[in-house]
Amino acid sequence: MNGLSVEKVAKSFGGLRAVAGVSLSIAPGELVGLVGPNGSGKTTLLSLVSGHESPGEGRVLLDGEPLAGLSPDRIARRGLLRMFQLTRVFRRMSALDNLLTAGRALGLPPRGALARAHILLEELSLTRVRDLDGGQLSGGQQKLLEFGCCFMRPPRVALLDEPFAAVHPTLKEIMAGSIRARHREGQAFLIVSHDMPVIAELCPRTVCMNAGAVIADGPTRAVLSDPVVIEAYLGGEGA
Amino acid sequence: MALARSARPSGELWPPLVFLGVLAALPLLVGDAYWLGILIVSMYFALLAVGWNLLAGYTGQFSMAPAAFAMIGAYATGLLARDLHTAPWIGIPAAVAAAGLVGMALGRVVMRLSGPYLALTTLSFAEILRLVIGNSYEYTRGDLGLGVPGLFEGRLPYYYLFLGALLAVQLGVFLLLRSRAGLFLRAIRDDEVAAASRGVDVVFWKTAAFTLSTAISGLAGALYGHFSQLVSPELGLISQTGLVISMVVIGGMGSLLGPLAGAFLVYLGSEVLREVGGIQLIVFALLVILFARFFREGLIGLARRALARRGA
Repeated sequence: MNGLSVEKVAKSFGGLRAVAGVSLSIAPGELVGLVGPNGSGKTTLLSLVSGHESPGEGRVLLDGEPLAGLSPDRIARRGLLRMFQLTRVFRRMSALDNLLTAGRALGLPPRGALARAHILLEELSLTRVRDLDGGQLSGGQQKLLEFGCCFMRPPRVALLDEPFAAVHPTLKEIMAGSIRARHREGQAFLIVSHDMPVIAELCPRTVCMNAGAVIADGPTRAVLSDPVVIEAYLGGEGA
Repeated sequence: MALARSARPSGELWPPLVFLGVLAALPLLVGDAYWLGILIVSMYFALLAVGWNLLAGYTGQFSMAPAAFAMIGAYATGLLARDLHTAPWIGIPAAVAAAGLVGMALGRVVMRLSGPYLALTTLSFAEILRLVIGNSYEYTRGDLGLGVPGLFEGRLPYYYLFLGALLAVQLGVFLLLRSRAGLFLRAIRDDEVAAASRGVDVVFWKTAAFTLSTAISGLAGALYGHFSQLVSPELGLISQTGLVISMVVIGGMGSLLGPLAGAFLVYLGSEVLREVGGIQLIVFALLVILFARFFREGLIGLARRALARRGA
């Protein structure tokens, strides 16, 4: 099938089964939220998809092609771009160079990368700080910059891990607006977040994980009101 | 309106060009052969420092083998001249290629490592190579040293040869840093995981930087071999690598001018301290600790901050 497909993926760290046979798929243009209590395996699942961890069992496919054995940079060039829970920007490079690095690595020509970077800086309200080093930006601006790096070349699927965590409401709205606009244009997303109001507002579909397994998958309002999901958040198994 | 760029050492070309311009005029003031020799050896170290800075300052990879690759370059051109009667204009490029090829082969292995493992592996390589060359008497004449033909009669032509090489290497590094390779190397220095997740082939670019750095060391060693007309395993001593690291850290890592200025300050300083009684390495080791702990941008960073404060 087209899009991202995760099939019975499992990963253990020593005696801890962090991801236990998870299957899910994201169709082209779909916007999916991934929620679950702390330690439920959401970030590990993203690492398995983006190639930062290799699954012990199962497989990940992008447009029907298996990603097994590919390094994170090759997976990125195939169109799976990731934003990390703990923000990762190039701290001693300017905001503009941060974007240019992503654009050039993804195959954009020099002028194309520069033009695209300026569009993104404008869209994310970062033009004023484009010459400041990544490390000099506020936490929220760093999040926006990392978000922008994912869209220098529109990915097949954007994997966003806690993009709204500790972000000022104004910057959060800029990012949410950008996600909405891109989704309307057919961009696929998998968004990990603890921010339920934003997930409810942005994502038509939500997947909930607990103790390494998927416990609910469906329309967001139905998932968030599912007693099993509420139980997991209030102190069920693995919470 | 965009805010001003930070005051960290940048990749501007004019400061090193001014520095090299001053060096070009220096023989008008310094005619003494001894001091010309000191300046030539300073330029040899400056070449090594520029090469090491490309790897450590701009790519964040700490090799402990720049002196070992200079030794490879020096022995390559020396052995070609002795055994195949190769002319220096072939021997020197061949030495650069030899050092670069060995660097590429080693890089393909060690650039999958990081942090202390990379430093320890390159340190082991450097020491093993030095011992092999020292013990291969029938090929290298061991600790007696290998004679290398000279290129010129006086020291002045060597002076300008080293200066030309330094200028060419500095321009090459500047152009590299302005290209996409420069973006990728600096991205790898800042965060390898983030670089990979944005599509940068981290192992490839680290290996490329290591190969270039070792080729520059090979060039420095080949030129030094023809200048000194005798190369020995002492060229690859770990203390020589220690000097190179001191030069870059004290001068300013991740800048174009820092390694140049550091090379001259440290080598001229070591000549002064030689009179005091061989305490150079102790002094420079303390300075490296001081700079690495408190002044990470080196003397160049301190000077830039002072200028920025005066201008504010």
